[in-house]
Amino acid sequence: MRVFLFSVLCLLSVPRMQSMLRAQQGEVKSHVLPNGLKVLIQEDHNVPNVALYFFYRIGSRNERPGTTGVSHFFEHMMFNGAKKFGPKQFDNEMEKAGGSNNAYTTQDVTVYTDWFPTTALELMFDMEADRMQNLAFDPKIVESERGVVYSERRTSVDNSNGGLLYEQMRAAAFTAHPYHWPVVGWPSDIESWTMDDLRAHYKTGYAPNNCVMVVVGDVTEAQVMALTKKYLEPIPQQPPPPAIRTKEPEQNGERRVTVRKQAQLPLQLVAFHVPDAKSPDTTVLEVIDALLTAGQSSRLYSRMVDKDQVALNVGAQAGRSLDPGLFVFSVTPRSGVDPARTEKTLFEEIERLRKENVAEDELTKAKNQMLAQHYKQLKTIAGRANLLGTFEVFRGDYNKLFTSDKDIEAVTAADVRRVAAKYFDEKNRTVATLIPEAK
Amino acid sequence: MKTVTKFLAILLTLAATAPAEVRLPKYTREVLPNGAVVYLMPKPGVPLVNFRILVKGGVEADPGGLAGLTAVTAQLLRSGTARRAASQFSAELDSLGGTFTAGANEQYTVIGSEFLSKDLAAGLDLTADAVLHPVFPESEVKKAIARNVDGARAAKDNPQAAIGQYFRAFFYGPAHPYGHPAEEASLTRITRESIADYAKRLYVGRNMVVIVAGDFDTAAAGAALRKTFSEVPAGTAYAWAKDATPMPGGRLLLIDKPDATQTYFEIAQPGISRTDPERTALQLLNTLFGGRFTSLLNDALRVNSGLTYGARSMLDLNRRPGAITISTYTRTETTEKAMDMALDILKRLNENGISAEQLASAKAYMKGMYPTQALETPDQLAAMLGDIEVFGLNRGEVDDLFSRIDAVTLEHANALAKKWFRQNDLTFVVLGNASKVRDVVKKYAPVVKETKASEPGFAVAVN
Repeated sequence: MRVFLFSVLCLLSVPRMQSMLRAQQGEVKSHVLPNGLKVLIQEDHNVPNVALYFFYRIGSRNERPGTTGVSHFFEHMMFNGAKKFGPKQFDNEMEKAGGSNNAYTTQDVTVYTDWFPTTALELMFDMEADRMQNLAFDPKIVESERGVVYSERRTSVDNSNGGLLYEQMRAAAFTAHPYHWPVVGWPSDIESWTMDDLRAHYKTGYAPNNCVMVVVGDVTEAQVMALTKKYLEPIPQQPPPPAIRTKEPEQNGERRVTVRKQAQLPLQLVAFHVPDAKSPDTTVLEVIDALLTAGQSSRLYSRMVDKDQVALNVGAQAGRSLDPGLFVFSVTPRSGVDPARTEKTLFEEIERLRKENVAEDELTKAKNQMLAQHYKQLKTIAGRANLLGTFEVFRGDYNKLFTSDKDIEAVTAADVRRVAAKYFDEKNRTVATLIPEAK
Repeated sequence: MKTVTKFLAILLTLAATAPAEVRLPKYTREVLPNGAVVYLMPKPGVPLVNFRILVKGGVEADPGGLAGLTAVTAQLLRSGTARRAASQFSAELDSLGGTFTAGANEQYTVIGSEFLSKDLAAGLDLTADAVLHPVFPESEVKKAIARNVDGARAAKDNPQAAIGQYFRAFFYGPAHPYGHPAEEASLTRITRESIADYAKRLYVGRNMVVIVAGDFDTAAAGAALRKTFSEVPAGTAYAWAKDATPMPGGRLLLIDKPDATQTYFEIAQPGISRTDPERTALQLLNTLFGGRFTSLLNDALRVNSGLTYGARSMLDLNRRPGAITISTYTRTETTEKAMDMALDILKRLNENGISAEQLASAKAYMKGMYPTQALETPDQLAAMLGDIEVFGLNRGEVDDLFSRIDAVTLEHANALAKKWFRQNDLTFVVLGNASKVRDVVKKYAPVVKETKASEPGFAVAVN
């Protein structure tokens, strides 16, 4: 065991990673059409394919009680026929042309993601423009799609221990703000959305001035702009969605949620309210996430999973949201381990972060992990399209993608301690535990 | 507007020519004196370098009664080496912002790591240290096994993960090398000795493939790899298991999960191997059957009827023939309707085949998706080189793909639909609330077995 002792004693010096964010990729060209559509283009001829992403600034935060989940339901309806391209045609035509698609809805945005060979570029513009302005609403399809969405809810929430606990945790952490309800919607709302709800949602969110389009891949700027002018520029703008008025009141005491369910292992979520994506503290929170959970040398993994063996896994999510959101820790206690014990260990590590400055080498390690991770997301045209759009919408400017390394670099040990002390306070905490029930 | 339109027309004419082929970037292959095969594929661009080291054998090489040994051995590579304690390895890896994963599939252990190009030397040192000099400390072995046992238990809390494990045991059966998912009992039998013995036997030159892909200097990397991997003992090449076939069909396994509000089901029949000459044609057929959003299965079960969030089919491509599997889920009350519908879609494909238009669409889809699925990133390219080596293929696997796709005729595709998408002797695995679906699912197979998700393990007595 001599070699191990030597290794542990050998002090690690961690060199800083140099920025390479901009060096390898083509320049991003940005345009704003007269109708307000923001267009971001990055040429990349590595593969003969294109990633075309549409970020609509509408999500479950724009909903109200009774119609929760309608943003997500609407996302499904966007594939069910418009004026020029009828039911099933979007998918049929796209796959026939060698492309595929998906879409996702969050609390803040609805994003449509198209991947296809360059040969399908004009078809995609034609179809996307058609559904941006002329969506059809067939009552029969609405009913069938309701079943699909309910199945999605059953899979991701009702029959998923993690999904179920997460939903209950959010509902407790937010009492007033729309982040209270789940993106997929409450079951009773899924059963009750009406055609009018869908039409109203379309009118509220789906207009060029509420959208950012990102094109990355085997295209030229001239080619994309010619198609944009032809297909998207004629679409009129609309009033943007109303501002979200409700602000979540300050939390003044710990909240606890328990879910009892048949399960092999318990689950635990611990959430703290944190500021919105544009706050400078958000980058510090991301560094904290890396310090605590990125890699097996991270504080929580090495203590809880490895050394103490009290957890099967640990994770954290420093959410970036348009309105103040949550920093969420997740823990799966090992079988036979009382969740009270994992909770205590987690709180000890959080307390350590609030009380002691993190060592420089440890901080540099976390930053290097973040930069490398960030960099790896830029490997694919799809990854880049998603990051460009996300930075544009959540940080207010896609250019922040190329300076995010400097933001990360600027975080100091004092920042980490200050931010941990500020947000990871007992009064600001929601603890949710899933306790296995006897069969 | 006129000039724009004209300009557009020119651009679109240029763009409308689909590539006639795709090509694998240039690479070198070298066999070291100890038998280790080294591939280098330089691809300038994103400054990343990807290492992929394969050890032939995989899950198939798990000794009897020790299911999970291949995977646990792989997991423990980083948990203590001749030069580094587990914590030291993690600290160095994380400081570089590197990634390191190790796991196993049916035919090989795969160790994958990725670093910034500038860290190639440090990344190689870490990766090779784990693969070539693991010491498997007793304390780390105990921790890993205990964690894997809990992992097998936790899988029961995730129906979609669990059904795959039950499926493996039930479809292949105990006599087949693929029929042994790791479970509590087999994991508990694994010892430090069995792990060290496994590594000594299999992590040898004649059994090892080393691949580097990405943005790096070929001469320098080649020399470093040659030096590092020449020190591996040549050993003995893994002897692949003798032929084995899945269990006969006509059987149904029902797994009771009383709190489930939906039923998850898989319907399978024997398929082909990775090197089957008909693989391209069958991939086209599977694309149409359940391999994409507009597939026959998804169109019927999701789009037309709203019975599910998604229905698909999978075509296994491993060293030995695998399964062709329908997979979906629906709420408990519509279990019979969904299962009948899936079988009806299978029947229609078998009896009526596909149309020329469908075949053309599947061909375009396969070609259109391929570059971003297989050729975009260093890790994708490294994975392709690994398959070429282990399955005895060549660069034609990529370079001739489009011509293989073009060569599939409608007549041939329909003959294959009849041959491979059969309606009889199917194997069913159903997970849900048994008290509500037990009577419903009886009709699908003459032999019905039942187990409880709350019971340990995934295998049930098949006879």
